[in-house]
Amino acid sequence: MTLESFFFYLMAAFILYSAYFVVTARNLFRCAIGLAASLIGIAGVYLLMDAQFLSAVQVAVYVGGVVVLVVFAVLMVSDVTQKEYLRSPFSRSVAAAIIAELLLMIVAAAAVVQGFGGGARPAPDSASVREIGHALLATGPGGFALPFEVISLVLVAALVGACTVAGDRDDGEGGERR
Amino acid sequence: MSPGLEHYLVLAALLFSFGVFGLLTRRNLVAMLLCVELVLNAAALNFVAFHRFLYQGDPAGVVFPILIIAVAAAEAAVALAVVISLFRHRKNLDARAADTLSG
Repeated sequence: MTLESFFFYLMAAFILYSAYFVVTARNLFRCAIGLAASLIGIAGVYLLMDAQFLSAVQVAVYVGGVVVLVVFAVLMVSDVTQKEYLRSPFSRSVAAAIIAELLLMIVAAAAVVQGFGGGARPAPDSASVREIGHALLATGPGGFALPFEVISLVLVAALVGACTVAGDRDDGEGGERR
Repeated sequence: MSPGLEHYLVLAALLFSFGVFGLLTRRNLVAMLLCVELVLNAAALNFVAFHRFLYQGDPAGVVFPILIIAVAAAEAAVALAVVISLFRHRKNLDARAADTLSG
């Protein structure tokens, strides 16, 4: 067993265990922490695949941004500690498990049977910051200048929308805006 | 033998099915949002795996996950804003409580 496969299985176990936490934990705060752990594990897998920049982005934006946002929201929504969360009925859980299992079987079988035949190769050059930057600003075929600009619009729209939706007051209640 | 493309694809498939299972069973809106994040990450993992093992010359495989991350961040911001607003009006985060628009 090489060092790489050892780290791969370690990361995979870590990711799946944290994902299990996200899916099953009753306490929302634990869900958020499980998601953070899972995302860090995925960043580690990116490192294994020589995508260093992507790994850094994953940690900075996902773990540092999205998860922190989720934690803030969980803390603002004060029924975190509420013990009696409504659970789905058991039959529904079984049905969901069967559906998820079938999906897993189909996707995994497709991946394994298809046999894409990607062998071990030297580390790619195109995952470097330089290449990603060139790709994001290139306008020709294979360039991502348009998605790059569109995503900035999407982010602005999401920010404004989020502020508008979350910042509204109850009707008739004159509390000051926080 | 070091892990190949199939290993990463199976890992992503596992993560995806975890997310789908959570999405189908959880009834809390924030928990459902977290499960969606798992699904999105599984997709991004597939992109990077294909980039690493099959299409090394094409930077699309690493640019797309970045776009996915940006869209996921926007989605999380909007969804959490809706959750906070809903909680203010309903004091409840059960997915079935959000039926204001149903006739």
